[in-house]
Amino acid sequence: MTRANVSSQSNEQRTDSKLKRFGIRAWRYISSPARIKQLIVSAAMYILLIGLAFVFIYPFLYMFVTSLKSNSDLGNYAVQWIPSSLKFENYSIVTNVKLLNYWKYAKNTLIVTVLSTFGHIMAGSFVGYGFARFRFPFKKILFGLVMLAFIVPTTTLIVPLYITYSRLAWLDTYLPLIVPTIFGFGLNGALYIFLFRQFYLTLPKDLENAALIDGCSFFKTYWKIVFPLAQSTLVVAMVLSVVWHWNDAYEPGIYVRLTNLQFLPPRIRTIVSMANAPSEDMFDLMQQLGLDDGEDTLNNAVVMAGATLISAPVLVFFAFAQKKFIQGIERSGITGE
Amino acid sequence: MADNKTVKRRRKRLTMATKEKLKGLLFVSPFIVGCCAFFLYPIILSFLLSFGDVTNIIGFQIELYGLDNYSNAFFQDTEFMPKFYEVVGNTFIEFPLKLIAALIIAIMVNKDIKGKSLFRIAFFIPFLLGSGEVMNQLLNQGVDRQVLSVADGKIIPYNVLMYFGGNIMETVSTIFGKIVTVLWGSGVQILLFLSGLQSISPALYEAARIDGATEWEIFWKVTIPMISPMLLLNFVYTIVDGFTNMQNPLLAYIQQKGFKEAKFGFGAAMGWIYFLFIGVLVAIVFAIMKKYMHTNEAEEVKKRRDKSKRIFTIERTKNRF
Repeated sequence: MTRANVSSQSNEQRTDSKLKRFGIRAWRYISSPARIKQLIVSAAMYILLIGLAFVFIYPFLYMFVTSLKSNSDLGNYAVQWIPSSLKFENYSIVTNVKLLNYWKYAKNTLIVTVLSTFGHIMAGSFVGYGFARFRFPFKKILFGLVMLAFIVPTTTLIVPLYITYSRLAWLDTYLPLIVPTIFGFGLNGALYIFLFRQFYLTLPKDLENAALIDGCSFFKTYWKIVFPLAQSTLVVAMVLSVVWHWNDAYEPGIYVRLTNLQFLPPRIRTIVSMANAPSEDMFDLMQQLGLDDGEDTLNNAVVMAGATLISAPVLVFFAFAQKKFIQGIERSGITGE
Repeated sequence: MADNKTVKRRRKRLTMATKEKLKGLLFVSPFIVGCCAFFLYPIILSFLLSFGDVTNIIGFQIELYGLDNYSNAFFQDTEFMPKFYEVVGNTFIEFPLKLIAALIIAIMVNKDIKGKSLFRIAFFIPFLLGSGEVMNQLLNQGVDRQVLSVADGKIIPYNVLMYFGGNIMETVSTIFGKIVTVLWGSGVQILLFLSGLQSISPALYEAARIDGATEWEIFWKVTIPMISPMLLLNFVYTIVDGFTNMQNPLLAYIQQKGFKEAKFGFGAAMGWIYFLFIGVLVAIVFAIMKKYMHTNEAEEVKKRRDKSKRIFTIERTKNRF
């Protein structure tokens, strides 16, 4: 009996003191200067991040919210972020009434984007590897040419380029947009060569040497070892190329004039001009579809709906692509670097 | 027959150096082909044009007459030089702002924070909307000025604003608009920095921490040297982009003169002055960065040097660690 009592008492005491000790330890942990500093730092970082994120996300928010506004909301300055009613009709207007012709133009843009991105990645990693690893005659001059191609904007070379492509009978096809990418030209093509060169410069040579000693041919070494190692750079190059090609309107607008082959981004101008001054057949079309004509249907909200639809594929693409950014991939498998 | 054999033997006996040359040329061959097909003709034509003008548009025949176009651009044209200064000034202001903001954001987004992917998507949204038509449309509606609008009294209270008066408010909101556009334009830089940061092995950080380095030291002694190749790329990209993006007033002017008013020669000459200037800037950046760039080649050279001096450098290495 007594024994049991004593033991239970001591147990209580023990738990009590345990609690106390835990409390003291917890308090010490929370109130330790290092911990407080860490808390303050992380809080400051999140505040900074959220503030900056707001600045960056603003154009999208503006675009998306405006695209859901009704005409009365558009004119009302009190309604900035939360529309009184969500008008999803704007989206059906912009796709239906021959304004955007979304799927057709999206398909055209997609074809060019995918093919030229492929070309840029292949050319960039291949040529960049050559510049990073080997010594050969005229290397400096050739790299100077890469930099020159990077510096000189296409806008200043457009006339001779146009002449070249018209001689090749490539106008009104997608060839002038796709073929140069395979050779490291095209939209910012030289940047990809430069990007991959910079990456390969940081890559240790040891793996390639090991492959060489094992009897791997140099081309196989490139394809089986170097190319896969460049994965993080590949993702970056892919993101850049896809986004730039999707949004590009300058060169396509000059080489490709047939309406059938047009691309998505320039359509926004058509929508804007229609919203500002609807043409006659526009009114006819609207009446046929039973929509009110005038400002109630065609307004800034419709323009923004079009803009949202145009940029949506890129946003979705990036949401998937950014998962490939993983910190500190052990890329070489070599210890003691 | 005998000749053939000797030829074959000779081919087999290529030295390592020749092999390397051939391999290198093979790897850059797509670029050489592309140069001949799509780049050399336009660039040479434009270079020649800058010393003359087109006499017959249909055949694109060129007559050369010397440096007139260049002297025109420098001394007679009233708009070229002021626009040139404006663009140079803008780029030099934007350059450090963009890069520092991009580096800070890239480092934060690279950390293991909560909602990492959401933040990443957020920071790339202006880049994803692009410098293209959609963004132009948004800018036409004044989105850049709305973000940090001073006029609505959220950032600076009304009383203070009243005190300043309209003029200063206008300037402040213009400055805020500029900052916002600079931030929005830093998407590519963030992306390039991020890819550089990701190629740093975590083992390096671990080693530095074990050796008792503070975060600040780690940043300067590990992060910056390891991303130095990306830093060079980013410097060059930011310079080139600052000078050649579509919104650039000077390029618009060159285009207007060169194509809309059909003064091909004059346009080309202005273009070449411009390229030369950018080229010199890029060359300077290359020359400066070459010293500090941390690459495998530089490392090898250093190792070789250290090996040859090993006997004498024991003391120094001890001090270094």
